[in-house]
Amino acid sequence: MFLLPAAVFLGLFSLYPLVQLVRMAVSQVTAATLNADWVLTGLDNVRRGFETGQTGPAISRTLVFVVVVTVLGMLVGFGAAIALRTTGRWSAWLLALMVFVWALPPVVNGSVWKFLLNDAGLLNTVLLSTGLRDTPVPFLYDQHWALFSVAFVNAFAVIPFNTLVFRAALMTIDPEVFEAAQLDGASKWQQIRHIMVPSVRPTTLVLLILTLVYGFRSFDFIYVMTYGGPGTATNTLPFLGYLQAFVRYDYGLGAATSALAVVGVLVLAVVYARSIKREEADG
Amino acid sequence: MSVKAGPLAVAAKVLLTGMYGVPILWILLTSVKSSDDVFDPGRTFLFRPVTTAYVEALDGDLLRALLQSVTIATCATALVLVIAIPAAYGLARTRGWLPTAALGLLIVLQMMPQTATVIPLFQAFSGWRLLDTTAAVVLADAALLTPFATLLLRPFFRAVPPQIEEASSIDGAGVLRTFWSVVLPVARNGVATVGTLTFLLAWGEFLYAVNFYLTPGQYPLSALLAQQVSAFGINWPGLMALAVLTSIPILVVFSSTYRLLRDGLTVGAVK
Repeated sequence: MFLLPAAVFLGLFSLYPLVQLVRMAVSQVTAATLNADWVLTGLDNVRRGFETGQTGPAISRTLVFVVVVTVLGMLVGFGAAIALRTTGRWSAWLLALMVFVWALPPVVNGSVWKFLLNDAGLLNTVLLSTGLRDTPVPFLYDQHWALFSVAFVNAFAVIPFNTLVFRAALMTIDPEVFEAAQLDGASKWQQIRHIMVPSVRPTTLVLLILTLVYGFRSFDFIYVMTYGGPGTATNTLPFLGYLQAFVRYDYGLGAATSALAVVGVLVLAVVYARSIKREEADG
Repeated sequence: MSVKAGPLAVAAKVLLTGMYGVPILWILLTSVKSSDDVFDPGRTFLFRPVTTAYVEALDGDLLRALLQSVTIATCATALVLVIAIPAAYGLARTRGWLPTAALGLLIVLQMMPQTATVIPLFQAFSGWRLLDTTAAVVLADAALLTPFATLLLRPFFRAVPPQIEEASSIDGAGVLRTFWSVVLPVARNGVATVGTLTFLLAWGEFLYAVNFYLTPGQYPLSALLAQQVSAFGINWPGLMALAVLTSIPILVVFSSTYRLLRDGLTVGAVK
């Protein structure tokens, strides 16, 4: 009875659209036929996506993007959590600042980074004045730099959350464990390696999948900072689907590309559900 | 637990402070610069502050966008809570294949790329003649955030001891009454956390707004900002002023709920 409103609402606005997405993916749908009967074309859209050389590169870009976001997000998040375990005003303020930045709309964070990464922006000004570079780094205007720049900003946006979660997990460790380790002469590094890493392992698994998914479905920073460009350099799978549908008005093709992204998400969801289940069984 | 910071931890904190402090500082500095000073390295900190960008930004359009943002975020949050609270409670109290399947479905829905849902929703709303209405954006936002809200709320309801519910039903209270006057007050922290997060996310959402409104005149702040930042020849001070104005409500919500967020966010991921 308590589930009924959710079931009706999500059925109408989440599940029905997904069914429609699949139907559109196997049909020919353009702006003119959006609300008319669709011609069934089977896997033609998917094939067209691959043959025109759009889908393949988009998949590899998505993988690079996800790997950069996940590696940075997890490692820096864990490192920051260790650094912010300390009590004191600075740690408390810094944590609050980071969570505030995390809570800001992605458009705001994306805008300011677009500004900082500009040819005449802060980063390039510093690089030029210290003599590390003779010419500005084209962070957002270069085929190769752009994907990494946007992935970095995505990681920047997810690090505070990961820090918060890792920090909460570290706080559950009994302080006596550290005291005992110190008495035994364990170094800081050994404490991290042998006490902290093992004790956050269950958390790490859940967080890893959340970060993977976050990187995978990300589009807002791409939209704000590069809009998929330069050329197609930051067209990840989800963003390519969006462009195909709403810029080129080829809804069928866009739906097919997005359906591929949905399949990717389904795989991650299964892994996630299994790790959650294991944790609930343990706890 | 008191831990002393070593030199490495201090270095990490300096780096993080710069990484998260500088962007905020730069938004504020740039928003009070004149266009000529923006990219002049000699005037990074020493410049004559002007309020031109704010004066230009603060017009009727901005107020309309602000009103749209408030309407969308408030309605979406209310709708999400009305749907997600009973669902989370139901899922926390029942066992069996149905709740398990429902949980799996919610996880999948929570992970859906928004770019994938915007395409069929656009088609559905155009069929239902809801395009260009605020209702479309509110419904889409609520559908986007309900799975997440339900999943985050569930552990809060599971933490409510079943004994107090039994006591209440022995006293003769029905299921609904027990839920309303016993369970909900105990889980109020969870409801506040989830409500805050939903509001923040709905406030920042722009993809649905950009696509479901057919004219920029109806855009909320986030969509206005997204539109201006992806335009050619960006007016940086104006953009940053808009970013500041978009963020002020976030600051207000954030500073009154930070403790809740800090402790409540990790409930789902840490046991």
